[in-house]
Amino acid sequence: MRLRTHWIALIAAFLVWTPARADDLVSGLSTDLIQITSNFTGTDIVMFGAIEPSEEAGPAKDQDLVIVIRGPQLDMTVRRKTRMLGIWVNREQVELLGLPGYYFLASTRPLDDIASVATVQRFHLGTANLEATTKGNIGPDEATAFRAAAIRDRKREHLYWESPTGIEFLSRTLFRARIQVPASVPPGEYRAEVYLFQNGTIVSAQSSPLFIDKSGFERQVYNYAYQASFAYGFAAVLMALAFGWAGYLIFRQSQ
Amino acid sequence: MEIYLPVAQLSVNWAMILGVGAAVGFLSGMFGVGGGFLMTPLLVFYGIPPGIAVATQASHITASSLSGALAQWRRRGVDAKMGAMLLSGGLAGSAIGVYIFRELQRLGQIELVVTASYVVLLGSIGGLMLNESIRAIRKVRTGGNAAPTKTGMHSWIHGLPFKIRFRRSKLYISVIPPVILGCLVGILTAIMGVGGGFIMVPAMIYLLRMPTNVVIGTSQFQILFVTAATTILHATSDQTVDIVLAFLLVIGGVVGVQFGVRVGSQMRGEQLRALLAVLVVGVALRLFIGLVTTPGDIYSIVAGTP
Repeated sequence: MRLRTHWIALIAAFLVWTPARADDLVSGLSTDLIQITSNFTGTDIVMFGAIEPSEEAGPAKDQDLVIVIRGPQLDMTVRRKTRMLGIWVNREQVELLGLPGYYFLASTRPLDDIASVATVQRFHLGTANLEATTKGNIGPDEATAFRAAAIRDRKREHLYWESPTGIEFLSRTLFRARIQVPASVPPGEYRAEVYLFQNGTIVSAQSSPLFIDKSGFERQVYNYAYQASFAYGFAAVLMALAFGWAGYLIFRQSQ
Repeated sequence: MEIYLPVAQLSVNWAMILGVGAAVGFLSGMFGVGGGFLMTPLLVFYGIPPGIAVATQASHITASSLSGALAQWRRRGVDAKMGAMLLSGGLAGSAIGVYIFRELQRLGQIELVVTASYVVLLGSIGGLMLNESIRAIRKVRTGGNAAPTKTGMHSWIHGLPFKIRFRRSKLYISVIPPVILGCLVGILTAIMGVGGGFIMVPAMIYLLRMPTNVVIGTSQFQILFVTAATTILHATSDQTVDIVLAFLLVIGGVVGVQFGVRVGSQMRGEQLRALLAVLVVGVALRLFIGLVTTPGDIYSIVAGTP
């Protein structure tokens, strides 16, 4: 579902894009692989690029850039508390399917100034336009509230990030954006997209992959926990017993 | 200072977690309790998801109860037969508890149930302990003997069938009360992440009427096995054991216990009990406030694996 909207976005971009009229876009990430190691506390990556002006010099253009990084799809369960007999209790529960585990957007100006609401919505730009299917016993208005709550929470965790002035121009054509990746980022396959807007429409787009993966030890521990869970639990117990026994020996000697 | 927890999928300050392990170990060495009732709330305040906190810190209790049980064994303070009876109930209880835990997690009520059980259990036991120790302290001040008050005879317990002789405990009673007691504590272990010593010990003294010198050792003996089983059950059924977190807690705990035991042995029993009671009531109050105050955001989100 999400993949398809991406293809539509890219195809649409290429349909509009013709070399003779519009400028070309080149971009890259400072890294295409983030390793989660044992001392991982989040990281910053840089997306950089240039707008290559077209051959014929046209009139001054109203150009804008939007950078979007999307993480793997991560289903969420959202619960709402209600006060019952003075105690706050989780009452309604909604499952949100299809939201990304990470979403970063940087642009040269606020999205509303760059393009029409319809365009921004069509390309699912901005956290307000993220698509999610709701599963739960709830009406459409309520579903919107739950979706908004999920997005609010992700923003608090710095997993969703919108920076309307996050793209910095180093020269007339060179640009750069700093992307904050927090420690709690979900591992998986990411996509980084750059859109070049001209007078409110996309004239060029580029997409590059980014992989976030746990490094050797962390990945092995995680895999063991899920694939060999009995042995994993047993190992945890053995570890505890070994240290408990060591503690006893030390204690006995000091007595 | 930061270390990434591979199962919890977040990074924590390892010195802080070592410190939490050591502090709880210190208190558990000082008071002779497992300390699970402190560990779970502390980890949750720190930002560890409650499910992971409950399951992971069971291994901290395994480590400290092994140290304790070995020391008690040498002092002939373990009634292995009674321990085995408690354990047979305890293992069943822990399996039931892990099942309940998973259902509650699915329904989104695990936090509420864990917190509410803490408030009720800690509040009532802490209140009783506080009351008892204040009276004991007063008695000592007026020059009396500070023996804990005893409740009346529970003759109905002696009327139950399947009687067995427990040599170490000098008892001849039915196996039903120990098995049921073990089962109840096993359920608590799985749901609340506590060893259950704070329920087990009074129940052994007042309900089963076991002599005080075998109570602590026997309770530690059975807690050792129940928490080990709980760790494995949680690891296989809901993958909430984070071995890196467990490692830090165990290291801190094993060291903290040693200092706690030394400090505890220099304090008077009734003062120690009063302090523990204040601590228990304090934790209960803090959790109760959390239940009734309006949360910052009434929505809560669980992403991916809970």
